[in-house]
Amino acid sequence: MTYVIAQPCVDLKDRTCVDECPVDCIYEGERMLYIQPDECVDCGACEPVCPAEAIFFEDDVPDEWADYTQANADFFAKLGSPGGAGKVGKVADDPQWIKDLPPQEHD
Amino acid sequence: MTLTPEKPIKQVERVIIRFAGDSGDGMQLTGDRFTQQTAIFGNDLATFPSFPAEIRSPQGTIPGVSSFQVHFASRDILTPGDHPDVLVAMNPAALKANVSDLRAGAVIIADTHEFTARNLTKAGYDHNPLEDDSLADFQVHPVDLTGMTIEAVKDFSLTRKEATRSKNMFALGLVSWLYGRPVEPTIDHLTRKFAGKPNVRDANIAAFKAGVNFGETAEVFAVSYEVKPAPVPKGRYRNITGNLALSYGIVAAGRLADLPVFLGAYPITPASDILHELSKHKDFGVTTFQAEDEIAAIGAALGASYAGHLGITSTSGPGMSLKSEAVGLAVMLELPLVVVDVQRGGPSTGLPTKTEQADLLQAMFGRNGEAPLPVIAPQSPADCFDAALEAVRIAVTFRTPVVLLSDGYLANGSEPWRLPDVTSLPRIEPGFATGPNHKLDDGDEDFLPYLRDAETLARPWAPPGKAGLEHRIGGLEKSDGTGNISYDPANHEHMVRVRQAKVDRVAETVPDLQVDDPSGRARLLVIGWGSTYGPIGAGVRRVRQRGFDVAQVHLRHLNPFPRNLGEILARYDKVVVPEMNLGQLALLLRAKYLIDAESRTNVRGTPFGAEEMEGILLAALTDLGIADASDNPIDARVAEEALR
Amino acid sequence: MTTPIDLGLPTPGTAGVPTLAEGQQLTGKDFTSDQEVRWCPGCGDYAVLKAVQGFLPQLGLRRENIVFVSGIGCSSRFPYYLDTYGMHSIHGRAPAIATGIATAREDLSVWVVTGDGDALSIGGNHLIHALRRNVNMTILLFNNRIYGLTKGQYSPTSEAGKVTKSTPMGSVDQPLNPVSLALGAEATFVARTIDSDRKHLTSVLSAAAAHRGTALVEIYQNCPIFNDGAFDAIKDRDRKADAIIPLEHGEQIRFGPPGEDGRGSKALVRDEVTGGVRAAFAADVPDEAILVHDAHNPDPSTAFAISRLTDTGYLNQSPIGIFRQVVRPTYDDQVREQAGPRRGLDDLQALIDGGDVWTVEEDR
Repeated sequence: MTYVIAQPCVDLKDRTCVDECPVDCIYEGERMLYIQPDECVDCGACEPVCPAEAIFFEDDVPDEWADYTQANADFFAKLGSPGGAGKVGKVADDPQWIKDLPPQEHD
Repeated sequence: MTLTPEKPIKQVERVIIRFAGDSGDGMQLTGDRFTQQTAIFGNDLATFPSFPAEIRSPQGTIPGVSSFQVHFASRDILTPGDHPDVLVAMNPAALKANVSDLRAGAVIIADTHEFTARNLTKAGYDHNPLEDDSLADFQVHPVDLTGMTIEAVKDFSLTRKEATRSKNMFALGLVSWLYGRPVEPTIDHLTRKFAGKPNVRDANIAAFKAGVNFGETAEVFAVSYEVKPAPVPKGRYRNITGNLALSYGIVAAGRLADLPVFLGAYPITPASDILHELSKHKDFGVTTFQAEDEIAAIGAALGASYAGHLGITSTSGPGMSLKSEAVGLAVMLELPLVVVDVQRGGPSTGLPTKTEQADLLQAMFGRNGEAPLPVIAPQSPADCFDAALEAVRIAVTFRTPVVLLSDGYLANGSEPWRLPDVTSLPRIEPGFATGPNHKLDDGDEDFLPYLRDAETLARPWAPPGKAGLEHRIGGLEKSDGTGNISYDPANHEHMVRVRQAKVDRVAETVPDLQVDDPSGRARLLVIGWGSTYGPIGAGVRRVRQRGFDVAQVHLRHLNPFPRNLGEILARYDKVVVPEMNLGQLALLLRAKYLIDAESRTNVRGTPFGAEEMEGILLAALTDLGIADASDNPIDARVAEEALR
Repeated sequence: MTTPIDLGLPTPGTAGVPTLAEGQQLTGKDFTSDQEVRWCPGCGDYAVLKAVQGFLPQLGLRRENIVFVSGIGCSSRFPYYLDTYGMHSIHGRAPAIATGIATAREDLSVWVVTGDGDALSIGGNHLIHALRRNVNMTILLFNNRIYGLTKGQYSPTSEAGKVTKSTPMGSVDQPLNPVSLALGAEATFVARTIDSDRKHLTSVLSAAAAHRGTALVEIYQNCPIFNDGAFDAIKDRDRKADAIIPLEHGEQIRFGPPGEDGRGSKALVRDEVTGGVRAAFAADVPDEAILVHDAHNPDPSTAFAISRLTDTGYLNQSPIGIFRQVVRPTYDDQVREQAGPRRGLDDLQALIDGGDVWTVEEDR
């Protein structure tokens, strides 16, 4: 099991979750943030702090955003498990369908 | 060979001898040897060692006096006796500390060598009692035991100090002659014990023989005595102390259950002998662990039980207090565990070397929360063997900690034990879980660690190593069945009641109590538990000899009580409960059965005397209008004794 | 016991524990129980749990031969979350219970999960005696420097002056250093690692499991509720080079931002004045003066001296890694060696018939 970041993060990337994550497993893509599923320890620290309510426990991802579970995994296809987002920085490995999303507006 | 003295021999039915001396004088060894000779000779016997808590109190002082009493007879006896017929006093302090227990006419053998001005002062004598008339009521034999011992061993190139060490053997030889004891067992014993130190061996044997010869030839001893063997069922016998019998019971239980035994213990008087003894029996699958403290001792034993061994922990009162939390965990985990409490005088450090029965309520209730567990008690030294087997049977069958309440008197006292045929003893079935015990709705099977046996309410015992039975247990409240943590109020209520019900069910496996009421007309019932069995039996016997009826019943199972106990108690007009505490069993009986059980208690660190018990029973019969006050044997001295 | 062939190599900690069949491989999922994990969000315990679940399959042992024992405290819930055999016992006593398990059964891999309050305060006695006996087990000591489960009192590792619910004016207790304590208690394996560094944590767990004897692993573990940030210095990307003194057996002890040679610009050297060790700029001392870490040194003095470089106050500096790893016979192996061949009821009869026995031929 793991936590998953979904659609509300796209083009927002608030990053509060990144500061909260005790194991530094939330990585930054071009359009959104992604949780490394193998590095996530399921501690749940990120979920309540996200102002956009974009983070869900894997089982609780709303049906409309079910594809994001896979997107979080796919983002790391090339990157693997670097063991810490801090030293990696922004990576342009967003899955193609995320890249193709229309720009998202936020309040 | 039995000694055949040329002096006249007088027949007597029973004799009580007390050897008393300084802690370093070897009185326990002397008493033990005399006991062995007596046991082999075939007398029934009971012993009572008494020694200070200090290893060596200041030499020559009253706190430093160590004594060993042996009562032997040509009939069966139940106690070590109240009043010695013979007191061997190795120094003035030993005389002073013990003389008040003697009746007129008793024999005193005193080592004159030690009655020096300095030793007299240390003992608190202004005058040498051997030289004034203060001992006029007794037959006093002043003998230079030390001097004659030194003379007897002069050929063995020992220092003077080493030579005087054999004086206890001289005394033993003298008393052995006086009562016609066989001498070979002691000579054999000394030969074996000091095989590596020939001059010590030879000196001790020489001193022992010199004592025998002195009795034979000295004119002061005009007569010797004979106590014929007691009537006993045929069989093989040995003399045994309670701690040794209890240790053997544990070894035997391990073999009968085919379980390795794991004893966790921390040294504590008077339970350490159990640790010492079990440490010798690794080849019977016994592992002993001398832990860093009492808590670790029970913790490791409980860990071993979890791992599928027979976990045992042995201690005394202060250790019981420390173990309380872990006993509660064992109740919660529902794992087999035997907690041996060899009770001593309390509270706190109390009287480490003296006996008491004041841990009963602690065993029953000394834990947080509702934490019931079975409690059982042996009634005599040899019975410690059977009680240990019973404790293990209950612990294993019901997956529960069991408290086995011995005491200092049973632990160190001894009696002849008719050896059991171990192959005929009942086997104990561990009944480990072998596989899944539950079917899920989807047809799959799983293992529920708290799914109970319908009959015993015991849960499965599933030590690690079995695939598919992986489970987690702990001290938190759990759901019945799954064992998963549960804070649900209804579940907690259920679990508290089911743990109690399980312990209650132990009674279903306990035979009904048999009341000893030969005439069937008794209106008085005396009920006891543990080591008071001997004194109560002796008191009952005395009262019956006076022509009165009295019924006796003795409890091995203190929790749960046997099923017919309530019915028995209700049958009698009066119920008295002698205990070495302030009335703990009486409290339980009154609470459970709403009867007017009357306490008769002593807490002086020594067992009840037979005479004292007779007085208790006669007083109770007087209350009932059966006996009258003139029957009461309690004279001023006995009353004083009770207050001491 | 199954005595391995003596190749002069240390006996592995897991020798005697049944392994999986050829080709069988478990995953972290196999070690995950059906119980919902109930630590606070962000708790370091999650990271350790995940690392342990990820690590256990590497041992290749049968799951049913692994036992986790814990005491009381947040971390002590650990066994409930692992699908192995487990016991959540009482406060401080896990090492004692585990001693019984490990001594009784050589075919079990025994793990203790404990915390700074559990192991160092109420259970301090059991910890030191387990260490000196060298019972074959691994003790994971989660050190968050606070009492979490009882809601935030200072612990035996809290820094002096710590303001908590029970010390509103600041604690006046001197904290103790678990690594120094363990080294003083004759421990044969002592290491320190960090909850959030899974790679390092896993490598230390691996070495600890391989060690035969009591392995103590102190794990710095953040409590986000009652002591958040206690280990920030060693977790912060910018500060950790200075804060962590990495210990690698056979390597120079270097730390700090990289120097000209690309290695840490600081190093540990002997302190001629105190007899201990001290930090120096690597450039200021001859290369041969820089301490080469020797975890296998039979003499624990240097390991102890290194352990003293741990801050006792707010943690700005701490050596991390395996301080000590030496071979010494274990308590449980020696106990098992003393046990002779198992004897039966005939021998039992002979035992109780021992001593001075007499026979009464007829009832009399």
